[in-house]
Amino acid sequence: MVIVEIINGPLIPFSSNDDRNQDGAELTFNGRVRDTEHDKAIDALEYEQYQGMAEVELTELAKEICQKFPISDLFCKHRMGRVGIGETSLHVSIWSQHRKEAIEAMDFFIFELKKRIPIWKWAILSDGTKVPSDCAH
Amino acid sequence: MIKVKIKCFSQVKYALGKNEIIMDLENGSTTVDLEQMIREQGKDKLNDVSLRVAVNQKYVQDGIELKDGDEVAFIPPVQGG
Repeated sequence: MVIVEIINGPLIPFSSNDDRNQDGAELTFNGRVRDTEHDKAIDALEYEQYQGMAEVELTELAKEICQKFPISDLFCKHRMGRVGIGETSLHVSIWSQHRKEAIEAMDFFIFELKKRIPIWKWAILSDGTKVPSDCAH
Repeated sequence: MIKVKIKCFSQVKYALGKNEIIMDLENGSTTVDLEQMIREQGKDKLNDVSLRVAVNQKYVQDGIELKDGDEVAFIPPVQGG
């Protein structure tokens, strides 16, 4: 199963689950905002999406990952708007029978997300100005 | 003539100073023609920016002919995560 949510405001993580008797691995990734962008201090990041297309593409990607790797479920939340330093911007949980496929699926999912999902970052500088982020990591 | 809507994001928005542009184009205009116009409007700010193209919220590979009412986005390198 796939759950994809693109949200404004604070991100509430998916609940851990003790009832998955078939899944030996529950892998969670939290992407957080650093305090620098290309060695420049920032106050926050502001995320921008192509409304509609971003969620459709992200859902299609999540489904592709579930076909490509033998995992049970992939849940993903991505924040939009201003995200403060240290806060989570991306939260992904993957369940699978064994750890290896979950780790590989997570790496591939995030790699592809950063390659094709129409979401961008703006750096909010300490003087309040907003510029497109140069960071593609 | 046809009318298309251009959605602007990230470096394209920064270069053009607009979220959205409505443009009238000659019949038979393609995404390649439109990208050239957008790059000219952005002056030097888009010179080093690679752009993918989406028409009606789907990526398209090659230059395709645009139709009246199409929504076009020139998508700079994405940065989710």
